[in-house]
Amino acid sequence: MGPPKRSGSKNEGKSKKRRKEEEEWTYEEDDTNEGEGAAVPGAAARDAEKNDQNILEDEFGAKDYRSQMTLKADNTSRPLWVAPNGHIFLESFSPVYKHAHDFLIAISEPVCRPEHIHEYKLTAYSLYAAVSVGLQTNDIIEYLNRLSKCSIPDGIVEFIKLCTLSYGKVKLVLKHNKYFVESPFPEILQKLLKDPVIQECRLRRNVENEDGNEFITQVQEKKNIPTFGSKPGGDQPDPAAAAAAASVPDDITNFYDKMDNEEEDEEESSLQTVSFEVNQEKIEVIQKRCIELEHPLLAEYDFRNDTINPDINVDLRPAAVLRPYQEKSLRKMFGNGRARSGVIVLPCGAGKSLVGVTACCTVRKRALVLCNSGVSVEQWKQQFKMWSTADDSMICRFTSEAKDKPMGCSILVTTYSMITHTQRRSWEAEQTMKWLQEQEWGIMVLDEVHTIPAKMFRRVLTIVQSHCKLGLTATLLREDDKIADLNFLIGPKLYEANWLELQKRGFIARVQCAEVWCPMTPEFYREYLGCKTSKRLLLYVMNPNKFRATQYLIRYHERRGDKTIVFSDNVFALKHYAIKMNKPYIYGPTSQGERIQILQNFKFNPKVNTIFVSKVADTSFDLPEANVLIQISSHGGSRRQEAQRLGRILRAKKGAIAEEYNAFFYTLVSQDTMEMNYSRKRQRFLVNQGYSYKVVTKLAGMDEEPDLMYKTREEQGQLLQQVLAASDIDCEDEKIPGEGGPRAGGSGNRKTGQMGSMSGADDAVYYEYKKNAGAQHKHPLFKKFRY
Amino acid sequence: MADSENGSSSQNSLVVKPINLECKNLYDYLKTRSRSTLEKLYNHPTICLAVYRELPELARQYVIRILFVEQPVPQAVVASWGAQAFSKEHIYVSKVLSELSVWQEAAIPGGLLGWILSVTFKRNLKLALLGGGKPWSMSSALEVDSKARDVSFLDAYSLERWECVLHYMVGSQQQEGISADAVRILLHAGLMKRDEDDGSPVITRQGFQFLLLDRQAQVWHFLLQYLDTVEQRGLNLVECLTFLFQLSFSTLGKDYSTEGMSPGLLIFLQHLREFGLVYQRKRKVGRFYPTRLALNITSMQNSEGPVLEEDTPKGNIVVETNYRVYAYTDSNLQVALIGLFTELLYRFPNLVVGVITRDSIRQALKGGITADQIIGYLKQHAHTQMLQGEVKQPLPPTVVDQIKLWEIERNRLAYSEGVLYSQFLSQADFNILKEYAETNGYLIWCNKEKRTLIINKSAHDDVKKFWKRYSKGS
Repeated sequence: MGPPKRSGSKNEGKSKKRRKEEEEWTYEEDDTNEGEGAAVPGAAARDAEKNDQNILEDEFGAKDYRSQMTLKADNTSRPLWVAPNGHIFLESFSPVYKHAHDFLIAISEPVCRPEHIHEYKLTAYSLYAAVSVGLQTNDIIEYLNRLSKCSIPDGIVEFIKLCTLSYGKVKLVLKHNKYFVESPFPEILQKLLKDPVIQECRLRRNVENEDGNEFITQVQEKKNIPTFGSKPGGDQPDPAAAAAAASVPDDITNFYDKMDNEEEDEEESSLQTVSFEVNQEKIEVIQKRCIELEHPLLAEYDFRNDTINPDINVDLRPAAVLRPYQEKSLRKMFGNGRARSGVIVLPCGAGKSLVGVTACCTVRKRALVLCNSGVSVEQWKQQFKMWSTADDSMICRFTSEAKDKPMGCSILVTTYSMITHTQRRSWEAEQTMKWLQEQEWGIMVLDEVHTIPAKMFRRVLTIVQSHCKLGLTATLLREDDKIADLNFLIGPKLYEANWLELQKRGFIARVQCAEVWCPMTPEFYREYLGCKTSKRLLLYVMNPNKFRATQYLIRYHERRGDKTIVFSDNVFALKHYAIKMNKPYIYGPTSQGERIQILQNFKFNPKVNTIFVSKVADTSFDLPEANVLIQISSHGGSRRQEAQRLGRILRAKKGAIAEEYNAFFYTLVSQDTMEMNYSRKRQRFLVNQGYSYKVVTKLAGMDEEPDLMYKTREEQGQLLQQVLAASDIDCEDEKIPGEGGPRAGGSGNRKTGQMGSMSGADDAVYYEYKKNAGAQHKHPLFKKFRY
Repeated sequence: MADSENGSSSQNSLVVKPINLECKNLYDYLKTRSRSTLEKLYNHPTICLAVYRELPELARQYVIRILFVEQPVPQAVVASWGAQAFSKEHIYVSKVLSELSVWQEAAIPGGLLGWILSVTFKRNLKLALLGGGKPWSMSSALEVDSKARDVSFLDAYSLERWECVLHYMVGSQQQEGISADAVRILLHAGLMKRDEDDGSPVITRQGFQFLLLDRQAQVWHFLLQYLDTVEQRGLNLVECLTFLFQLSFSTLGKDYSTEGMSPGLLIFLQHLREFGLVYQRKRKVGRFYPTRLALNITSMQNSEGPVLEEDTPKGNIVVETNYRVYAYTDSNLQVALIGLFTELLYRFPNLVVGVITRDSIRQALKGGITADQIIGYLKQHAHTQMLQGEVKQPLPPTVVDQIKLWEIERNRLAYSEGVLYSQFLSQADFNILKEYAETNGYLIWCNKEKRTLIINKSAHDDVKKFWKRYSKGS
């Protein structure tokens, strides 16, 4: 008698195919740089995932690793598993969790971090980051092995060696305004110098020393790590930890201590290094060449020994107290007394700006802050004034609206598009640009670094000379995997915080996420099924049931005294909703002045509790008051947008601990439409951070709510007419200049993909409305004729 | 005037209720036996005791009260023993006692009806409770076993044997040690069926549901199916049942002698041995050890009963809010079970990583597993860690909701049976009937243009009458 068949086997192929299709309509983000790959070393393309290809699958379709590893006898006291494809699983309830977590965050990328078991992934980039903060190949392997419940697969050991041996060994250091390539390993420098390209870049001061493969040998002095505000409190051992340590195998604790000490040692003892000087004009060339030779240069800035650039006089105010995670991230940056370039990832609302301000105050050289909108320029200025001793005279804004006198200022705040602008500028702006280009900046802070395409970033780099770059973001993630390029354009990721942990400790708000399912009305659904794709979007966004749900939620939260932001990517819907409900709204064409006025009102006017915004408010609109977010239309399946939007309400609220949830995030989706699929995809990032979405199929109390709009068939019918009459442009999401739409072309400065905007017709589309709808749109001049 | 209803709609055939696994308890099983079988069963004190133990509490009260009463007790008197508020319970237990033939109705001189306990049941329950008569428990072995087995060995043995059966069901390659007999039982029970192509047994919808039951329920269900076929094998049902109950009253870790057992019973013993209910070192050895599986047979039905220590592995599944499932297990069986409703990704020596997806759940739902069963299974095996922390829920509520939503998603069509009315001669006729149906709430669907109505089936007669009256009148 043969074995029974698995019932599932027949359909398996089909479901896989479907999954593939799902991947295909994932939304493509706006990066159009095809040829960027060149600046990335070959090793970066290495992928541990490939180790996995010829792994046997077991009878249940899982990849079977059992033959590759042996379980250790004391596996229960060790916290993790390492899979041959680089994925690492960590028990968060293990007594050594803290050690393991710190270690893993240094060597790998977090994939998901929910409550109990976290997943990490070893990548070439993460290992690059690990070596750049000073970890050694053998230590990584050794410690990983000690923490693991099973033996480490050979493939992984191999992979770690491949990715780390050549990385992080050479540094590009700027000292006394000269560039040096520095390394503690003379043999590596020898090797590099054999390359003709590099030889050319080398700068020799004294020509008589002709035979010279001699290096400048130097002993790095003992240095103190800069301290930030408060002193780390982790030094005193607490008894609970000591008790927990009892159940931890000795080798783990011992090794951990050793690693800890080593880090300190490295910083404090003197270290012999060799270096050669590099011709300043050829920095780009040597950087690129080194990457090709698989020895990417780590950029470090020895700001204390920089005597050429003047110090600026800013300090943190005494009131500025850093939270432990902010401090930790800065310690990674200034670990050895020099400033490393890199990216710090903190959730929105967790105080990224303070990190940026502190970094500037630590370097104490001229600082350039780049962000992506005029509003956030203002907010950065505020932040500087709030946390540091900088005053108006020291901070200069450089935007199309506010052009402060730049000369002699020490902190310049501007936007990416201002810098990369290629069209004619005003004379004044031209002067500022010239000045900006002449300066040698000590530190460049790049806000929301994930939003800039590599190409634009390139331009920034060619225009601005800066010694050290700090990228700040909440979501190091793009739908196209271009984010990895940042590793080599700015530097490795220095730190990434755990959202759930910050939430638990009250640093960010506790958010209840909910997905509200709004059934399509039969009429809308009939049209939805029958019409072309572009119209579909409008139909599911304008679904009367969704409108009613929105209205109900707004009222409900207004009664509770909450501040609500409603997001809609679709401008047609945005206007319609806002005008119908009589609420203020902000979108692309809204002027800077009006925006600020609306935001101020939202902040301080108790009568304005709800505003409607388009995706201009996705990033860096700082609205600390808002605690409810309703999303009625969104940008396809973009995970990043979802996370950024959540960030608008993440700032910790008063009484954070008292309630179970103190912020609410609603996504309204029309049932049975594409939106459901998008929504599932969008949520993936946050779900991986440990958030969970509650599905709401029916809003309790909505039926009792009086006079919600679009109750009757007739009203719904009228709405449908309007939707069907809407033009094609209405059906699309708003396009933000500078961000570039999905079809926006290759060059960095092209703004939108439409002819309309070329002629300034973005907002002047010819509409035809049925009776009552048009009334509010009537121009005052025409009104006169009617009455 | 030629309206006519065109017969009932064909929706009938659409209303297919999925066949679900029926789990009977001892009471459900016994009440379907014939009176004479029950009478025969009650000849054994063990069965009387087992039945007595499984009775509802109130019923046990009644039995004890009239155990020593020789005449019928008037029904009114019995009813007066409980407070008026609990008359529902009284009626229920009366029914139970009658169905099990524990008592019968008897006329009392004077025309009243009374209850009297079945004579055999009374005699043997007295024996069980008070002793006397022949010893009814199994005979202990003669001398000390030179190779005595301890409890942990027996547990391991029974577990292994039982899992062997389950393994076979989920179709793991490993299949030694399962006999044709066991396969026959699985087929008979509908847990597996012969594949249409090659005749090899494959698991059925009920089989999946069976796998998600807890261990005791599985054993009991399986044994009931076995008992169904017992007579075809030429074994005596009463004898087997009696022996089964004797087993359940035996002591764990003690050995018993096979002496005095009939040949039929010895065959039965070999079957039990195969499923792990008893351990016997060799077929011919004159002693056997009952295992925990056998001991738990009768105590599964009421949860407050003294369930012997859980022998299934303790919680080892972690379900995360991102739909990941981590199971600390190396058992193929458990992996296979989890694989029924998750997409398995990786297997480490002591851990399986999987993810719950819409597809994987739909697959399971198609296989006939219900959302509740999946959730129940995950809850039952939830890792101890899940119960710590700030939220004391064994499963993330969002995952539970989502699994249920995925199930609901599949059943969005609501069926209602109806009768089609069509070919009205005039719009007026149509309107009258429609109005009538609408005001009475009979109307399911109507189309003005085509003059067709669908009326709730139960209201068909009513509407027909109305129509006759109306057409006469006009």
